[in-house]
Amino acid sequence: MRILLVEDDPDLGPAIAKALRGENCAVDLAADGVDAGHLGDTETYDAAVLDLGLPGRDGIAILRDWRAAGRDLPVLILTARDGWSDKVAGFKAGADDFLTKPFRVEELVMRLRALVRRSAGHAATRLECGPLAFETQTGQFELDGLPLKLTALEWRVLSALMLSRDVVIERLALAERVYEGDADVDSNSLEVIIGRLRKKIGASLIDTVRGRGYRLATPTPSAA
Amino acid sequence: MRLIPRSIHGRMLALSVLATLVALAVAGAAIGGVLQRFVTQGLDQRLDAELSLLAGAVGADGRIDRAKLTRLRGLLDAGPEWRWQIIAPADTIGSDVLADLDRRPPLRGGPHGEPPPLDKPGRPYPLDAVHARGTGLHARQITLTTSAGPVTLTAAAPRDVVARPIRAAILPLLGTLAILGVLLGIATALQLRIGLRPLRALRDGVAAMRRGAGGVSEDQPEELRPLAQELNALARDTSTALATARASAANLAHALKTPVATLALVVRDDAAAAAQVARIDATIRHHLARARSVAVDRRASTALEPALADLASTITRLHAGRAVAITRTVQPGLMVAVDAADLDELAGNLIDNAMRHAVSAVRIDATAEGAIDGGRIRLRVVDDGPGIAAEDRARATAPGVRLDERDDGHGFGLAIARELAVLHGGALMLEEAPGGGLAATVTLPIAGER
Repeated sequence: MRILLVEDDPDLGPAIAKALRGENCAVDLAADGVDAGHLGDTETYDAAVLDLGLPGRDGIAILRDWRAAGRDLPVLILTARDGWSDKVAGFKAGADDFLTKPFRVEELVMRLRALVRRSAGHAATRLECGPLAFETQTGQFELDGLPLKLTALEWRVLSALMLSRDVVIERLALAERVYEGDADVDSNSLEVIIGRLRKKIGASLIDTVRGRGYRLATPTPSAA
Repeated sequence: MRLIPRSIHGRMLALSVLATLVALAVAGAAIGGVLQRFVTQGLDQRLDAELSLLAGAVGADGRIDRAKLTRLRGLLDAGPEWRWQIIAPADTIGSDVLADLDRRPPLRGGPHGEPPPLDKPGRPYPLDAVHARGTGLHARQITLTTSAGPVTLTAAAPRDVVARPIRAAILPLLGTLAILGVLLGIATALQLRIGLRPLRALRDGVAAMRRGAGGVSEDQPEELRPLAQELNALARDTSTALATARASAANLAHALKTPVATLALVVRDDAAAAAQVARIDATIRHHLARARSVAVDRRASTALEPALADLASTITRLHAGRAVAITRTVQPGLMVAVDAADLDELAGNLIDNAMRHAVSAVRIDATAEGAIDGGRIRLRVVDDGPGIAAEDRARATAPGVRLDERDDGHGFGLAIARELAVLHGGALMLEEAPGGGLAATVTLPIAGER
């Protein structure tokens, strides 16, 4: 799960980023409106956390531009403006959720996970694939009913595969959802992560589609 | 007691009545004077004719021709109480004795001009006389010069001859003046009524502005147009000042909230510090709500239905994942005299509170009560949740009280809604909904036509 975090406060921005990374998210932090608009236009994110009062450009204007350009990534507005009028204006501009400062970071994470799950087209909070289960609210994976321990990178890869279950994710698209913008993207390390995941959950669950990417395949009843 | 009435209407009416009365009195006095002059003049002519008859009976030697007087008798006695008298040096004769002849002329500068001095004979002069029996007389006198000395002729008529026609005329005169006075009074009242009508219209305009109209019409009479323009400018200034006050309150909150958010993140593992941060947050929220409440724009006018539609959609999305349906029954076209942000805050808090506690449905309905002008709008938000026990309902609207500790609401919702409703001259009532649950009803003033 890769998040675009737009927050101009020099203390709060890094603090949120740190908290989100602690919840296995890849986070790109933009500290002004111009950067935020640019990142949103050029990079791939699972969701954006958008402050409204920004230097450079206002959050609402950035959001409107994204929506006008057909960019439909889920956007959660995180602002000190707590009036109902601000909330109405935020949703009208195309926001998917709205959280006011101060907030509990658990709630922010929970809302982001829900946004990503819903935007992937899942109504249920618990996703299953054979012996593997993903509790989207808590971000917890289970294998055969037992908690599965994963590193942050493994979690990002597996959650992306889980949310697009039975659909091939191109390697590049998968890499974009796993690594932060300034990370050194090495396609080999994606292979390494997939390898480690296969060891943890069983080789048959993750298909490699040659020349294209990966797919988390629901085991057919005959194979089970 | 005030001598000058407080109302312009009263002042103008009093002034006009006073002027009318003075004018009527002057007119009455003038008409009476002219009337008296005409009557007196007529009488004087008759008396002067009588004097010339008497003069015919006085010879150049000062003797009185009594035979001639006897012949003239029928002509001389014009009526009862009419008297004449000749005083010659050697003889005195008269129809009666005239006593107390007042030598002072009754009318200074009267119709005959300067009073003739007694030593300058030849022209008749007026006199007031008293009959021996006490009757007042109007007399004319002339002094003739004869070889024997001056001969004084006097002709007198009862003063009543002058007074009677005046008395007869005075009643119709007063009646006419009274009718004139009444007509003038009615004209004044009508003039005031029509003349002051624009003032009443302007007052109604200001009242409408207070209830939410944008301003008063500047299509006014010339004298009132500057006032209307000043009023509108004042309204605009007030709006600007309100917006500024709100903006600084919001800026203060924004400036504080981000550091508080940072602090909350930093200390989230320290329960005691986190509790203090929560307290700071609660205080900011409370005072921001209060600052909002103080800055009420009473001239605001907001369409209810679109605001509720936006709020319902916003709140549905905020609670995405909860299978609670919001249904709305809002009378179309309703305008409330509450500004858009306050209405959002008030209704948003009510709907959000209902949403938090509802099991499956939140129902919103709004209807107008009473006349459109000065009437009220009744907005009702009903949920099918557990409701609030009767004994807790009063506490639920006290600031900062959160009854349901499991929820993550900030507990201000109902209190803010109540404060805003009261501030706008409305009220918030909490009742038990028919199927259990909470029914929150708020009454708000209807906005006048823009």
